[in-house]
Amino acid sequence: MSENIYTILIGGRAGEGIKKAAQVIAGLLCQAGKQVYQADDYQSLIRGGHNFSTVSSSDETVYAAYQDADLIICFDHRSVEEHAGFLKPGGVLFCNSDESDLEDGAGIPMTSIMKKHYPEGSNIGIVAIAIFCAHHSIHQYIMRNTIKQQFKRNIAENIAFADEIYELVIKKSSEPMDHPFDHQYRFLSGNQAIGLGAYYAGLDFYFAYPMTPASSLLHYLALKKESLGIYAIHAESELAAINMAIGSAVAGCRSAVGSSGGGFALMQEAFSMAGIVEAPLLCVLTSRPGPATGVSTYTAQEDLWFAINQGHGEFPRVVASPDCHERAFSLAAELLSLAWEVQTPAILLTEKQLSEDMRNLHLDQTSLPEASCLMDNCSKDYKRYAITESGISPLQFPQDCPESVVKWNSHEHFETGLRTDAAGAMIAMKDKRNRKNAVLEKATRKYQRVAVYGNGENVIFAYGSTVMELREALKYTDSGFRIVAPIYLEPFPFEELKEYEGKAAIVVEHSSTGQFARFLQWKLKLQTKRNILKYDGRAFDPIKLANLLEEAIHA
Amino acid sequence: MRELDTNKANTWCSGCGNFGIINAVKKAIHDLNAKEVGTDDIVITAGIGCHGKIFDYLNLSGIYGLHGRALATAQGIKLANPDLKIISFGGDGDSLGEGLEHTLFAAKRNMDITLILHNNGNYGLTTGQFSPLSFQGYKGLSTPFGSIEKPFDAVPLLIEAGATFVARAYSARIDHLCEMIVKAVQHKGFSFVEVLQPCVAYNNTYQLFNQKVKHLEIVPDKLSQALTLARSTEDIYIGIFHQETRAVYHELLYQDANPYRQRKSAAERREHKA
Ligand SMILES: Cc1ncc(C[n+]2csc(CCOP(=O)(O)OP(=O)(O)O)c2C)c(N)n1
Ligand code: SF4
Repeated sequence: MSENIYTILIGGRAGEGIKKAAQVIAGLLCQAGKQVYQADDYQSLIRGGHNFSTVSSSDETVYAAYQDADLIICFDHRSVEEHAGFLKPGGVLFCNSDESDLEDGAGIPMTSIMKKHYPEGSNIGIVAIAIFCAHHSIHQYIMRNTIKQQFKRNIAENIAFADEIYELVIKKSSEPMDHPFDHQYRFLSGNQAIGLGAYYAGLDFYFAYPMTPASSLLHYLALKKESLGIYAIHAESELAAINMAIGSAVAGCRSAVGSSGGGFALMQEAFSMAGIVEAPLLCVLTSRPGPATGVSTYTAQEDLWFAINQGHGEFPRVVASPDCHERAFSLAAELLSLAWEVQTPAILLTEKQLSEDMRNLHLDQTSLPEASCLMDNCSKDYKRYAITESGISPLQFPQDCPESVVKWNSHEHFETGLRTDAAGAMIAMKDKRNRKNAVLEKATRKYQRVAVYGNGENVIFAYGSTVMELREALKYTDSGFRIVAPIYLEPFPFEELKEYEGKAAIVVEHSSTGQFARFLQWKLKLQTKRNILKYDGRAFDPIKLANLLEEAIHA
Repeated sequence: MRELDTNKANTWCSGCGNFGIINAVKKAIHDLNAKEVGTDDIVITAGIGCHGKIFDYLNLSGIYGLHGRALATAQGIKLANPDLKIISFGGDGDSLGEGLEHTLFAAKRNMDITLILHNNGNYGLTTGQFSPLSFQGYKGLSTPFGSIEKPFDAVPLLIEAGATFVARAYSARIDHLCEMIVKAVQHKGFSFVEVLQPCVAYNNTYQLFNQKVKHLEIVPDKLSQALTLARSTEDIYIGIFHQETRAVYHELLYQDANPYRQRKSAAERREHKA
């Protein structure tokens, strides 16, 4: 039973800097040596509506955000209405008394005080930081320094504003936080971890067209252009992005693309081209609820079959899904590397939840693989698609070997890369590509393909971010559970999973039709004892999920 | 000099304008060799259509990509290794239909790439349906009563989009076409050569072009004049309509870097970031 979870929730309207304020507070908690998880709930709008960010922390690793909060800070009345009911006993709710009256909450005229301090502009997010610091008696200079570092504009106004709120709240302060505030930390979203992992494996280019929840990967890499030396290109469309990525691979650079389902639907044709031209390519598919535009800023696992079946025609591919932020980091490197090793596209399948939720991480880059490929040693009569036993043809890049011609071809082709319709040549080339399936099966074994957490009798199957929710939920049950999480989905890690063949298990997933349960039935003849589904775009609250699991085994 | 032919049997209809194009391209590559562009510095990309088969008939490196996407793959190649000279071959359906966005954006970016547009006024390979450049009233299988759409005008369209070298040539005037290709490849920036290409099977325009084609003697110095000349249907002008100097995309992105040559090994990166 885990009782030392501390949760703070900040709610308000879009445009009020809620996510940023939550991040600053999360940073303070990290500095205090806590393990921190942040989730942002926002809608697809720029101003107004209702947004909130939740930061849950503890002394041990936290894998999900909690609904019930110890400290709630509301900038508007709607936030009070939405969240007041989730205040933990003994918790405190601070509301904006300019917008709502509350009997048992602490009212602060946030808007009026703010207006006093800013001749123009505004920054109501400061309130949350000041309340948090005062509430926990964190030294005022720590608060000031943090705000100075985190907000580059209106420094004087921000400090004066924060000071006034701080002094108001400190009088009522209840929970001193006596920490040295000197811990080093790396607070990253899943998308950032993916970008960094791919960087360490050798990524040169990232091509994309904005689509939530993949956009933040584009933003992150674009911002880090100088320090990482990766070029993040915002192309005219997803079609352009993936074709450009294949082009850059033809010229020898390591490239990746990323999008959500809608963008991936557009990339299908070129994904399939990557299969026939044998282009190494990392594709990051981060899911939102669909179909079509679906619900753009929420989470889902509706794209499993889509990923497995991405593209038309038959060709080898890898599909894998990270079960936590650390894995997002290592998996991005593994998949980029596998793509180059086998010369075929790889999909990193994830969800809004992991893509955007943030955690403080310890990342170890030393054991990551490097994306490198089998090179031809400049043979004169080079053949791009030389038929080999493994199916992998050595590569050459333009200008490397002056004598040779390197022809890639999206049409079925001979070894030379010249097109053909000839029956025998078709079979030979298809067989060559298909032989790479066996290579892939072997190559993926270098990596952890399945993660197992716990050793209880009651087996739960899950993949992706759902695994994090389950790990958090299992802190609330004494029944013996074991989470079995395939990380690699294609090729399917049958070796590691054969002990579960034909057995019954609970399957937990974020889909309305039980795609993962059906997938397991297909691959493993797994019987679904209970398929726990959630498809409202929201993550499971760990405590509620724990209850559902208990119900499932006692059913 | 490398032999530019491959052993691939040619399947273009006899008399097809594509023969003039391939001959001019080969000649242009000879000329470019003399101007210090090596054959192995040249990389080609092609779309899908009769025009695209040129990929198989030229012994040059590159990628035979998807219908409409030749310029998108070309841009990826150029960004990865800007030392390469990229020549992209597109059909009018390919580059101005399915691939219109890539064509306009490559021009907008002033990517240092050459697009040779095989304008046969129809979709040859899929049996002569109307294309974005077919004249109004063109009868094809998908428009049996004559197309009702006004066609694009390729030269003005590309000038407006931002191409910094825009020319037109005629596949039956090989020397002139060759000259345009050499100049286009040598131009730093997005160069576009629209080639009037008769399709003997579905749109035989030899007679029309032989009568109407006129050479532009000089590059018009006013844009308005260039546009008027490009739109003229009385005389059909060939030659350079527009040429200007503008910063190219890859240099704006990374100056004189070469991502392929400067690739850092993963080990170096780990060291750098650790
Ligand atoms: C996505 C896609 N849609 C349709 C086709 C079928 N297709 C092949 S060539 C072609 C049109 C060719 O016309 P154009 O580009 O003008 O080239 P041409 O054959 O006239 O040289 C089409 C529609 C295809 N290959 N791919
Ligand atoms: S159909 Fe037209 S474009 Fe195609 S090869 Fe024949 S003449 Fe040439």
